[in-house]
Amino acid sequence: MMVIDPYTLIAAVTVGGVLVGGGVHFIPVGGAPAAIATATGVGTGTAMLAAGSGMTGLITAAALTGQAPWLILASGAVGSMLMICITMLVGNLVYVFGVGCVPVSAKVDTDPITKLPQEKFVTPGTEGHGLPTVCYVSGTIGGALGGIGGGLVYWALYGALANPIFTLANRTDLSAAMVAGIFALSVFFVNAVIASYNIGGTIEGFHDPKFKRIPRGIVACLIASLVAGIFSLFLLPGFLGGI
Amino acid sequence: MSVAAGGPGGVAISPAKILGLGLLGLILIYTTPFLGPVFGPLLAAIGAVLAIIWGADTIRRVASYGLGTGVPSIGYMSLAIAIVGSIAGIAGASVLKLDPLLGPIFGFILAVVLGAIVAVLCKTLLKMKIPILIRGTAELSGAAALSVIGFSAAIAGTFSFAPIIVGGTLYLGIEQAVISTGFIALLFILNTMAIQHPFNACLGPDEDQVRTLKLSVATGFIAMAIVGLLSVYTSKAWWLVTLIGAIAWFIAIREFIDASKESAASVKWTGLWPKHEEE
Repeated sequence: MMVIDPYTLIAAVTVGGVLVGGGVHFIPVGGAPAAIATATGVGTGTAMLAAGSGMTGLITAAALTGQAPWLILASGAVGSMLMICITMLVGNLVYVFGVGCVPVSAKVDTDPITKLPQEKFVTPGTEGHGLPTVCYVSGTIGGALGGIGGGLVYWALYGALANPIFTLANRTDLSAAMVAGIFALSVFFVNAVIASYNIGGTIEGFHDPKFKRIPRGIVACLIASLVAGIFSLFLLPGFLGGI
Repeated sequence: MSVAAGGPGGVAISPAKILGLGLLGLILIYTTPFLGPVFGPLLAAIGAVLAIIWGADTIRRVASYGLGTGVPSIGYMSLAIAIVGSIAGIAGASVLKLDPLLGPIFGFILAVVLGAIVAVLCKTLLKMKIPILIRGTAELSGAAALSVIGFSAAIAGTFSFAPIIVGGTLYLGIEQAVISTGFIALLFILNTMAIQHPFNACLGPDEDQVRTLKLSVATGFIAMAIVGLLSVYTSKAWWLVTLIGAIAWFIAIREFIDASKESAASVKWTGLWPKHEEE
């Protein structure tokens, strides 16, 4: 297993946090308006989507504990992508067959991917409905970025915590995995909510004009994750010279 | 989403009094190691409930300006900050060879610092227009950290990170009793619900601080009852924590329902749906 030194740990937590924060900007969060099918996106808030796809990504990443790092990151990405894709698919089924509206975006005239016209299918007085192709693709990219970010934080923390040089000799692998898991989950949530404040609650995906705010969100996530990364050093007695 | 945008409504209990209540919670948590295996966990759990009330009132003040993302998001964020801060703080007290007694206050301070940093970022970089955002997020993160530390101490019977032996009794540390068992993930969601639910459920034009706080007392105590059940294997006081939590929840939820009925114009039982479609 790879030995993680404390500086790699801080770097990994920071980069992981930025990937999560960036990934959230891609996810079509519709919020309360989408819940009544008057806006494009999944009808819930960022925190719920982050909980669903983030936790799934962390569980799939943790399932490959001890494997090569790229496998852990890929597994996290696949877990998150699967969860967000299933959420969007079932959401679309409800919007199309339950509510009876066409998945359509109100932010662009033609879908940038399929080139299908959008404008005339938008019900007057609403901001689109469901999840058109571009939102679905964007959400999948967001899930992948979030899963890689969460997996990166987990991999680095587990590597540092399970390393006898830095950590308690009596710490079990289970304990190291749980501490790393809950810490990674917390970093995931902090960055997901910062990103959702940046987009003002709702966004359609990378074609949405609000997506241009992404640099600000990334800087905010970078600083917050850096502080969390420095805090994570308190978990490494060997590094700080305790016990 | 920002139903109540424009700041909190009438304030019957001042923020300073609620802050005092939260700090009383910190003192109660601090008495845990001195009161033995029965009253220690009980007071730690009650301390956590006081912290939940503090958090619920703070979320009422911050979220009433309209966050744009719904009330739960700031609740989840505060608990995430609280877990980063409290685990780093409690572990840090052991790591830096400090007295384990400094763990909770250290965790509390780290959570408040991280909360304040995130709020400053939101205010300056993301240009959020909530006047009390920085103080509110810092207070909320501190309250959330106290609720996590209090419930963790109630489960473990101590707030040492590693296992310790006191008077011949082995206390599992927080790492073994709360984190390895996975209870910390449950505390994450449980405390988030207890802190954000009261305002999320009560917000609206006729929101009333006392009524919201009554609901927060109820959510706090039912969380305490569940924490009692979680500590079956680690604490001798689990039945006492559960019992007192359940009784206090019953009283608080009855008070809340009475208060809701009093403020309502009329309360009617809608009945079940009719057996046949009415013509």
